[in-house]
Amino acid sequence: MRNTIVSLLAVLFGLLAGALLMAVTGHNPFEGYRYLFEGGMRDISRFGDTLATATPLIFTGLSVAFAFRTGLFNIGAAGQMLFGGFCATAVGLTLDLSKPLMLVCTVLAGFLGGALWAFIPGLLKAKFNVHEVVSTIMMNWIAYWTIYYMVPAYFKGEYLETESRQLPDFASLKSPFLSEAFGGSYINLGIFLAVLAVIVIAFIINKTTLGYELKAVGFNRHAAEYAGIGVNRGIIVSMLIAGGLAGLGGVAEFTGNASNIQIGKLPTQGFDGIAVALLANNAPLGVLFAAVFFGLLYSGRGFMNAMTDVPPEIADSIIAIIIYFAATSILIERLVRKLLRIRADKREQSAEKGRES
Amino acid sequence: MKKTMILLALVAMFGSLLAGCGSANDGGANGGNGGNTGGEAAGFKVGMVTDAGTIDDKSFNQGTWEGIKQAAEEFNLDSKYLKPAGTTEAEYMKEIGNLYDAGFKFIVTPGFKFETSIFQAQDKYEDAKFILIDGFPHNGDFNAVVNDNTVSIFFAEHESGFLAGVATAVELQEGEAGFIGGMEIPAVQKFNWGFQQGLAYANDNLGTNISLKPENVVYEGSFDNSAAGGQLAAQMYDRGVNVIFCAAGGVGIGAISEAKTRVQSGEEVWIVGVDVDQYTDGIYDEESNSSVVLTSAMKKIDQVAYDMIKAELDGEFPGGEILTFDAKNDGVGIPTENPNLSDATVVQVEDVFAQIKSGEIVVAEEQGDFIK
Repeated sequence: MRNTIVSLLAVLFGLLAGALLMAVTGHNPFEGYRYLFEGGMRDISRFGDTLATATPLIFTGLSVAFAFRTGLFNIGAAGQMLFGGFCATAVGLTLDLSKPLMLVCTVLAGFLGGALWAFIPGLLKAKFNVHEVVSTIMMNWIAYWTIYYMVPAYFKGEYLETESRQLPDFASLKSPFLSEAFGGSYINLGIFLAVLAVIVIAFIINKTTLGYELKAVGFNRHAAEYAGIGVNRGIIVSMLIAGGLAGLGGVAEFTGNASNIQIGKLPTQGFDGIAVALLANNAPLGVLFAAVFFGLLYSGRGFMNAMTDVPPEIADSIIAIIIYFAATSILIERLVRKLLRIRADKREQSAEKGRES
Repeated sequence: MKKTMILLALVAMFGSLLAGCGSANDGGANGGNGGNTGGEAAGFKVGMVTDAGTIDDKSFNQGTWEGIKQAAEEFNLDSKYLKPAGTTEAEYMKEIGNLYDAGFKFIVTPGFKFETSIFQAQDKYEDAKFILIDGFPHNGDFNAVVNDNTVSIFFAEHESGFLAGVATAVELQEGEAGFIGGMEIPAVQKFNWGFQQGLAYANDNLGTNISLKPENVVYEGSFDNSAAGGQLAAQMYDRGVNVIFCAAGGVGIGAISEAKTRVQSGEEVWIVGVDVDQYTDGIYDEESNSSVVLTSAMKKIDQVAYDMIKAELDGEFPGGEILTFDAKNDGVGIPTENPNLSDATVVQVEDVFAQIKSGEIVVAEEQGDFIK
């Protein structure tokens, strides 16, 4: 309950800060926000787009949040997502199967690819205590350049060197039925996968022994070790799952929202996932809402641009500021706690005074 | 618990405040919009969706936007550009939809990456007009489908590169040239091959002696890594290259700054710019207006954007066509003002330009035996 309020406050502060920036740059904040939210929710097709934008963020947010619970800072969700998406694309372009079987294969490939990319930092952390922040960032660039080499070499489009061939329909998460139901939106099956992932991860964290052990490692590594929990195993398992989740984000992005993979790009959702996890206070259900909120911002931004005189560059800054403030929920929690304490102190004092007199 | 309730109430209040003000503002906002739609009378608003990179990329986006702005000012139209969050089809579609919903029904999109998006958009928004520069709409299978509400535009980059090559060779007479490309895509490759042909033509017919070694023909692999552009240029200059043709967007900007540094420390090196007249980007001495940019291989993107808007106003929108802008219709060439070229060179280039126009010189747009 308290966490929810802290997160809501963080969002509120973010919106206020964004409003301030709009006002300072000479634009009407109310008008801006009106079109921002309209742009994300005006009709069913825009709402579908919002959900589709949120889908990869749900996965990367879950990935970061899950690793956080074990005390690991997974900054490499971008690379894991990219490599997972690449594996899924590679499978989709290579195998020739019926759609249901194909989707199982691409999703599996994406999960394994992401997991592999996070396994290496996990192993390094467990065996040699290499800090995961450094190693996951490095893995981001290894993924970036691997894709840069592999895509033109093996999956090159007919004319373009810079992106892979288009995925055939039977390998894509796109579903004509779903698109039509949402009035031509590019929403796809990824959203169901994402909701499923939220449920599964919430179950693992809250209801299983594995989740309990991982959380114990996160709270206090040494105490967990003393209690007989395999800390090193925990770190590796946690990274595997976190990486797999980010990999699924890649599947949703590259075989759902997009229909091929481009080189020379590190997906921004990897880093936004950190903000999503912070805003959600690392709770799986919170990740779902936080990601949809971010999706709303990203998908409404263009409409705000089109309807007002806010230039795209300022709009980018506004979104960034909202996200920045939204991710400071920890600070806000401290603030709330401090305020409560001051109040409690005052009450005690007045109570004492009352007694004295 | 009581406090949480108060907090919640606060949040709710602020929320309703936002919503309330939003709707209360309705009339005012619309009035404001009405105020600057002076172009409403002319009948349409011009929108643009940017390609990868920023609006001030000294190249594609900027060129297109400048053309639109010029037309918008002249004909009193509303204009606006949107910057998509990424470069996927979905993100492009989203911004096209945003423009459309906001009433911008004449939409210009620069770059081949828009091909599949425009393919969908031209069906989805039948009452909108689309200009696709450097690409044609297709369904991912490269079979062109250009509807009546779309015009697809190509440039003869090889002719532009050829002219820049001739200008370079004639001006420097002898020396060594290099090439830095962005991504290895057709437009950039054609610049490269054209440039090589231009140098070869000058060597064969105009008595120059400019060499181009295979190791000095490099594609950096992006259009925005200016640091890498600077390093590549430094390596080439160290290997004895005198002039580098950069068809690489932001990467070329890095190369230009490297050249500036070297010229300021007394070396004599040159850059040949691309897409737009990059002379001003290469200025290293404000007072004497001296620039490291010898000349530029231009694609007159701004002119084309302007022309298309004008055509629409005149009711002559060439819908359904694939247009190619080359030397024949003055769509490519070097800048009209070239402070770094001697008069003799300019005359020589004009002569060659005329010969390309008349078909006496044919510049190949295929790779053939050229380097990369």
